[in-house]
Amino acid sequence: MDTQGIRVENLVKKFGQGESLVNVIDGASFVVNKGELVALIAPSGAGKTTLLMMIGCVLEPTSGKIWLGEEAVYNDRWLGSDTRRIRREKIGFIFQSHYLIPFMNVIDNVTLLPQTNGLTKDKAHAKAMELLEYLEIAEKAKSMPSQLSGGQNQRVAIARALANEPEIILADEPTAALDVERSVSVVKMLKKIAQEQNVAIIMVTHDERMLVYCDKILKIENKKIIISETQNNEHIV
Amino acid sequence: MINLAQKDITHTLGKFLVTAMGVGMLLGIVLIMIGVYRGMMVDAEILLNDINADLWIVQEDTLGPFAEASRVHEDLKDTLRAFEGIDKSEALTFQNLQLPGETKPIRVTAVGFDVFGKINPINPERLTAGKPLTKEHYQIVVSEETGYKVDDTLKLGRDIYRVVGVTRDTVSSGGDLLVYLSLKDAQNLQFLYSNARIRSDRARGILENKEMKMANAIVATVKPGYVIDNVANKIKKWKHESVYTRTEQKAILTKNLIERSSKQIGLFTAILVVVSTIIIALIIYTMTLEKMKEISIMKLIGIPNSMIIKMIVQETLILGVLAFIFGNIFSHLISDNFPKRIVLEIPDAWMLFGVVIVASILSSFVGVAKVIHADPAAAIGG
Repeated sequence: MDTQGIRVENLVKKFGQGESLVNVIDGASFVVNKGELVALIAPSGAGKTTLLMMIGCVLEPTSGKIWLGEEAVYNDRWLGSDTRRIRREKIGFIFQSHYLIPFMNVIDNVTLLPQTNGLTKDKAHAKAMELLEYLEIAEKAKSMPSQLSGGQNQRVAIARALANEPEIILADEPTAALDVERSVSVVKMLKKIAQEQNVAIIMVTHDERMLVYCDKILKIENKKIIISETQNNEHIV
Repeated sequence: MINLAQKDITHTLGKFLVTAMGVGMLLGIVLIMIGVYRGMMVDAEILLNDINADLWIVQEDTLGPFAEASRVHEDLKDTLRAFEGIDKSEALTFQNLQLPGETKPIRVTAVGFDVFGKINPINPERLTAGKPLTKEHYQIVVSEETGYKVDDTLKLGRDIYRVVGVTRDTVSSGGDLLVYLSLKDAQNLQFLYSNARIRSDRARGILENKEMKMANAIVATVKPGYVIDNVANKIKKWKHESVYTRTEQKAILTKNLIERSSKQIGLFTAILVVVSTIIIALIIYTMTLEKMKEISIMKLIGIPNSMIIKMIVQETLILGVLAFIFGNIFSHLISDNFPKRIVLEIPDAWMLFGVVIVASILSSFVGVAKVIHADPAAAIGG
């Protein structure tokens, strides 16, 4: 516990140039340890998704440093040529909507990434079934996403994000499409995953009711990151 | 490893099959067009092969009855028999007729020949009922597609003819059905004037219709041991007629008569292949567009481009192969309904298969380009 999951130092992102230059993130620095669920909050357009995309190696920062686990991935430039490999091996993504591949059933959606990473079909299936049981949705393994409810699909999406045993999970408003009850259930599940799987999770949210389940809050204010501790750091078993 | 193409196709199998059927129909039309051309080539050679003559002697400076009007004296056949190297020679006439039909006249090409001569244009293998001509007058052998049966009667010119034989697959180079008449009947039909005209001619001092002894071509066979070209050159020199060997006559048929048609069909076929390629490309593009969100997600979570591109290329190839199979089934189902002969040959189908595979690969490039340029960030909402 408390080993470094995500470390960001003096991260800057600017769009445009000359007069149209816009500074979106200006010198963000923070650490998210493994086992922590951290909320990222800010008004719309403040740069939450931009920050998430930079940490997720999707969008190149203007300058700064990023570490994912112990691996330095960015130091004023990408340090490896294949950012997709980093995403595949280190990061799990959860989106507002589940975004499962609609033409594949639950088990195929969950095993896609492990099999791409070289795991055999049998091992990938065994691992996926473990995850689905852990997320209490194993009985839907052969169902298509269209046959599941929103909450069930979101749990499958979480299983997919966990399937490649990532060091970090980036969740972009995972509860936005769910009612309060299911939102709480999903956030508690993320909290449980962070603790039990020893994963660093950053969760973008607009719902302040969910902050109570988070270990820290990263707030983007005037292009800077303000870090605050939450009052309730309960450990969910 | 999960096969994305198989998963995607299975998920939308009905839509995929219907799409493949649609493209298949287009490919079926391409096969039919090629079949029309092959059919023309076969039709053009039927009469030539059935007559099986070594030499065609026709009016000087003409290409012969298949290409243009040709008239030669019937008795030229007797002169030719005396030529060194000539084995058999007979006079033939060719003319278009309209047979009375149930609802409308049936256009045919009539071949007139000496019933008792040594060269008979009726191929016994094509005779499906009845017998060849046995009398000099009022008998006719017809192609079965005319609808006439043995012992039916029909009126041609002034006379009633009885059907004595029925043949199959007998058509002229122009695709018209063939009928066979005795030379004398054919000459009557072609050259005999009406009684009023004969009376008019007599009043003008024209007492004899000399055309009654004309034919359109003399065909001859060459004795073994003689070089056909040498005999042909000798006839050309001494008899002031144009002489063509069978090879030359075949070339006249295929080059002079069918070349323009084949070019036209070739152009149609090429256009259809291009249209099919564009349609496959558009379908693949649309199918890719429909999956752009999924493709962005796959790229975002780290699925390599190669795996997504493989899905697009595999789907395109499977679409092409299925369309090719449907195209073949479709073309074979409808080919018999065309009024003219359609010859569907396996080498043509394989050639089209090659074209479809190349076209499919080219078509997949539009989808692949879309995949390469897909932005993984598009998967993350703002």
